[in-house]
Amino acid sequence: MNTAPDRDEIQRDLAAILEARLGLAGLGSLEHETRFFADLGLASIDAVVLGEAIQEHYDRAIPFNLMMADIGSRSERDFAIGELVDFLHIQLAKSGER
Amino acid sequence: MPRITASGIGFHYQQQGKGPDVVLVHGMTGDLSIWFLSQLLGTLSRSFRTTAYDLRGHGYSDVSPSGYTSADQARDLLAIMDALGIERAAVVGHSFGGVIALHAAVIDPERITALVLSDPSFAALRHLEDLNRWGHWESFRQEAANAGVELSGEHWYDLARFFDQVMHLEGERLLKFRQAVGLPGFKRLMRLAHTTCGEDAKAEAGLTLECIGSVDQPTLALFGSESPFLATAASLSELMPRCRQRLVPDARHRAPEENAVAFVALVEEFLLEQHSTVPASRTQP
Repeated sequence: MNTAPDRDEIQRDLAAILEARLGLAGLGSLEHETRFFADLGLASIDAVVLGEAIQEHYDRAIPFNLMMADIGSRSERDFAIGELVDFLHIQLAKSGER
Repeated sequence: MPRITASGIGFHYQQQGKGPDVVLVHGMTGDLSIWFLSQLLGTLSRSFRTTAYDLRGHGYSDVSPSGYTSADQARDLLAIMDALGIERAAVVGHSFGGVIALHAAVIDPERITALVLSDPSFAALRHLEDLNRWGHWESFRQEAANAGVELSGEHWYDLARFFDQVMHLEGERLLKFRQAVGLPGFKRLMRLAHTTCGEDAKAEAGLTLECIGSVDQPTLALFGSESPFLATAASLSELMPRCRQRLVPDARHRAPEENAVAFVALVEEFLLEQHSTVPASRTQP
């Protein structure tokens, strides 16, 4: 049975993880377009720590190396919450099918 | 978040892969995310147990008021290896991370199997560099001026002077600087500005020309093709008996960011050559 969470659930999880692990309180306005670095004021090292926290939360390995490398190849070196939600939705669906 | 205590400091580290050990050391004012963004950590983890850590005062590691010379931080590196059960390792260091890596090889040569020195600048070799030849210097200085910090040609590499200016920015210049470097970058710089990091980074700290020349581990001196430190690259090849020089095309001082693909390929090729191993993914027909 596929128990992978849907996109809304993932976004709620992300807001909770960002608050608990990275100290970002009051993320009620977290939108798909919200950018991790430019809008939330975080840095690439925070993305590394967030990746770990997400894997711990879902208790499964997620290939964050790929996402970090993708960010590294972008001229603006930033990503939107919606992109992270989509990435996690695909990855969690894959592992949920196992 | 994996943390380990070494030299009395809590260090954040990341480790991936299995095999011979490789340790990655970032530069001053950076953090270990450079190895994720460049994909070096993921690439090397196909063949090596690859460990990256945040230097003291950087990233998610603890800040100490002092202890930032290459000698201090080489001892940190060796203590982290002790704490993680890494007996011997090849070490890849970028910028000041390269200075730390080489210093560790001087302090405890038996534990360092090979070195990749990515665009380091050594206090003992600084007299060789004519930074006026660096075509990008003027544009870099202009960027800093736009951010409210005036850098002179003699002192651009002087972190202490840079930190001193940053700490005394006020009003509109402070706002401009915060906007230019971003809030996380500003917080990181301010945290370091209150330590001896700036002065310590300038110190030779015992890493003399003789010490550099005594290191006989296989060494790759990897510099950007437009690096401001090409005289250092040539000098390392002359001083160190087993040092070879390679240039990363289309890169200045930050090859892991400016040309990550070429940088990672050259580092992996060198390390595989030292260990004569083949990535698991390449053993498939």
